[in-house]
Amino acid sequence: MHNWNESLIRGLWFFTASFAVLSVFFIIFFLLKDAVPLFQTVSVQDFIFGNTWNPTGATPSYGVFPLIVDTLLVTLGAMVIAVPLGLGSAVYLSELAPSKVKAVAKPAIELLAGIPSVVYGFFGLIVLTDWLRVAFDVPSGESWLAGSILLGVMALPTIISVSEDALNMVPQMFREGSLALGSTHWQTISRVLIPSALSGITAAVILGMGRVIGETMAVIMVCGNAAIIPEPITNVLSPVRTLTGTLGIEMGEVAVGSLHYSALFAVAVVLLVITLIVNLSAVWILKHIRSKQSAEVPKRHFISPNNEWFWPAVRAVLAVLIVLAVFFLFPPLPAAVLMVFLAALIYAKDRISPNISQKIAFVLLRGAIAVVLCVLGIILLYIIVNGLPALSWEFLTQPPRDLGRAGGIFPAIVGTLYLVAGAISFALPIGIGAAIYLSEYTRGSSRITGIIRTGIDLLNGMPSIVFGLFGFAFLVIFLNFGVSLLAGMITLGLMVLPTIIRTTEESLKSVPTSVREGSLALGSTKWQTIRRVVLPPALPGILTGTILSIGRAAGETAPILFTAAVFSKRFLPTSVYEPVMALPYHLFILATNVPGATKNQYGTALVLLILVVAIYAVAIWIRNRYQKNVRW
Amino acid sequence: MVNMTTEAAVISTKGLNLYYGDNHALQDINISFERNRVTALIGPSGCGKSTLIRCFNRMNDLVDNVRVQGQILFDGEDIASPRTDVVEIRKRIGMVFQKPNPFPKSVYENVAYGPRVHGIKDKKILDQIVEKSLKDAALWDEVKDRLHASALGLSGGQQQRLCIARTLAVEPEVILMDEPCSSLDPIATTKIEDLIEELKKRYTVIIVTHNMQQAARSSDYTGFMYLGKLIEFGETCQIFEAPGERLTENYVTGRFG
Ligand SMILES: Nc1ncnc2c1ncn2[C@@H]1O[C@H](COP(=O)(O)OP(=O)(O)OP(=O)(O)O)[C@@H](O)[C@H]1O
Ligand SMILES: [Mg+2]
Repeated sequence: MHNWNESLIRGLWFFTASFAVLSVFFIIFFLLKDAVPLFQTVSVQDFIFGNTWNPTGATPSYGVFPLIVDTLLVTLGAMVIAVPLGLGSAVYLSELAPSKVKAVAKPAIELLAGIPSVVYGFFGLIVLTDWLRVAFDVPSGESWLAGSILLGVMALPTIISVSEDALNMVPQMFREGSLALGSTHWQTISRVLIPSALSGITAAVILGMGRVIGETMAVIMVCGNAAIIPEPITNVLSPVRTLTGTLGIEMGEVAVGSLHYSALFAVAVVLLVITLIVNLSAVWILKHIRSKQSAEVPKRHFISPNNEWFWPAVRAVLAVLIVLAVFFLFPPLPAAVLMVFLAALIYAKDRISPNISQKIAFVLLRGAIAVVLCVLGIILLYIIVNGLPALSWEFLTQPPRDLGRAGGIFPAIVGTLYLVAGAISFALPIGIGAAIYLSEYTRGSSRITGIIRTGIDLLNGMPSIVFGLFGFAFLVIFLNFGVSLLAGMITLGLMVLPTIIRTTEESLKSVPTSVREGSLALGSTKWQTIRRVVLPPALPGILTGTILSIGRAAGETAPILFTAAVFSKRFLPTSVYEPVMALPYHLFILATNVPGATKNQYGTALVLLILVVAIYAVAIWIRNRYQKNVRW
Repeated sequence: MVNMTTEAAVISTKGLNLYYGDNHALQDINISFERNRVTALIGPSGCGKSTLIRCFNRMNDLVDNVRVQGQILFDGEDIASPRTDVVEIRKRIGMVFQKPNPFPKSVYENVAYGPRVHGIKDKKILDQIVEKSLKDAALWDEVKDRLHASALGLSGGQQQRLCIARTLAVEPEVILMDEPCSSLDPIATTKIEDLIEELKKRYTVIIVTHNMQQAARSSDYTGFMYLGKLIEFGETCQIFEAPGERLTENYVTGRFG
């Protein structure tokens, strides 16, 4: 029996799923289209390896090499900070934390993920760079180090929650098996649990890295933005400028169609390629690790890692490299001290008893989580304490005066709400439709679903500033929407689309097959089954994903920077073709361009923080409530 | 009830009670396990067999909300007390679990794991330990060409013998086995039973089983548990041929309802 209704519905979901892929193609096409003209004047080689980025000079030069190096340096620094702290906290939370501590620490860390990047940037600009300036006695604290610290903190929630999940997924029987052999808890953690969770932990680190590379606003606010390679390369106090930063700073001032304009799109392409490489290497690493752990008998290696000399040789090479690195990075005296310390550590490592090394390890793990929670506490406290005096009825209900130094932020609040509402009503139907198609109408791995999935993954990995650029080139210029509410809504909607698809798909997948079979066996159609028995239990999960997307859309600045936001507008928009004010953008401009607006800066930051954190808190609450109630 | 002299007993409990929250899972258990003997624990599902043997290597410490009262004497020392070094206890009392649980590492690394964490580094010594343990677990011939392949590629029965080898490598005094054959086919089961026969020459074995024939075939003593209580304990032939209690008789003859 052919059922037209059913095929129609199926077709509809297929269409929504294809949308994600089409938008990826569109984005890439428009970036390339606008990047190409540059290469009629500048050779690819000069662009990639050119040593100077100075598009506005008397003789403009478009060498992107320093930007690439700076991006990598900031990312590296952030990972050096975030990986040990993040892993330590994850291990603590999954293995050591008493349930009471867990109940507080886990939501706190998820909230850390909800703080908008412009708020981090604001804190970094006002507090962190100042600390660094005083601590290192330099003229300005805006530097590589500031960027790395701030981005490291921003990457923490991702690293912690993904690797904690990975650790929790290690079967309890491995834990028991190891403990039953008389190994200590720490030996069990370090030799069995962490190696078993390695693929998840790697994914966590790479996801964190993706977040760092794609971040724009915080980077602009604390890195100093000089397009130079640090001199010497280890000078962490040198100002740097990343690829994203360059886009954020220059895109607003460039003449459309100029060579500079093309150059910026070429920068976006480079950024996209880097994020692509990161994402692909994640996939590759995961595959590699899985195959190593899987049941197959491995091929004979040319160099077998079991040779007598193999590991000693590797160790010797590593040791030499570390010694060289240390002497290269530090002045002679601290280097010598550090070497002695390291040697002592290595000497001691094998000689202290398992009990003592467990004590030391646990102290370090507790230290890691303490640092993370302290950082969160400091940021929140600082903004709350300084922001509260600025809050008043007038502040919330009046338009700004005197360039935002006085008056309120009412239009910005409303503008943000408009933007978010528009973005969600655009993304939600498409996202849920795509997820239904992927989870219910496809089985395993057909070519088309493979393409759709890849499209969604790519969309998910794209830095938010790239969405901004696309929105500008396509919506604002090509479709001639102008800088408008509509362009901002669509851009933000595209950005949150993958989040909605993923969370929806996950919650649909968590409904067991037996429930579907039960319904189908009673003679109901596929769509009836989906609507009546699959969707209802998946609803809380979908809701959580939606709310998280709302929070993300409300806090993002980069996508609306050139598509929707203006700094000052006394009246609320009357049509979707008008530009709007928005909270994150308002804060960004107040903090970077308006001297003497201290009070209203804190006020705006606090309002934005409260808004987004409240949204996240609701999402976390819904999820926890339903996780307890629904157990299949 | 047979009263064993405490001299020969390796592990004995005195008034052992265990609660999972409000669930009184072990009620006043008094039992002794003799050195170099195999003791089987039988009883219907949920009667507390696993709970009891998991007391001996303090595996129950991993469960939230457990409360233990009473004494567990191991070589005269109370190992139920909070001051006991559980790691030390677990070195001396090994355990084989119901489902084979090899680590996701190579066969070699699985067996070498225990000795390594206990501080043996010398590759030659480790090689010897691995080979000897695998031989003792009757697995050597089957895996000697794939020592560095993943242990997850072994069959269920091989995995279980690997877990036994892993336990032997630590050289415990007592081996606890919780239904070690329940996920295995009859041939693999026979291999493990033969192995147990060998093991008892050097180790004290405590085995939980649902399989009456297995208990009858491979154990010297048998304890029958029911609803958290130890109903009867004695030599295996006595329990099976002349049980003193009605409940025991019903259970071992399969007339249980
Ligand atoms: N981790 C736990 N938390 C709470 N209660 C538990 C736990 N483990 C076991 N119990 C309870 O303790 C009682 C005894 O369980 P146990 O696993 O020791 O039985 P068993 O004799 O090994 O059963 P089986 O033959 O099915 O393995 C049961 O009522 C069980 O529900
Ligand atoms: Mg059991």
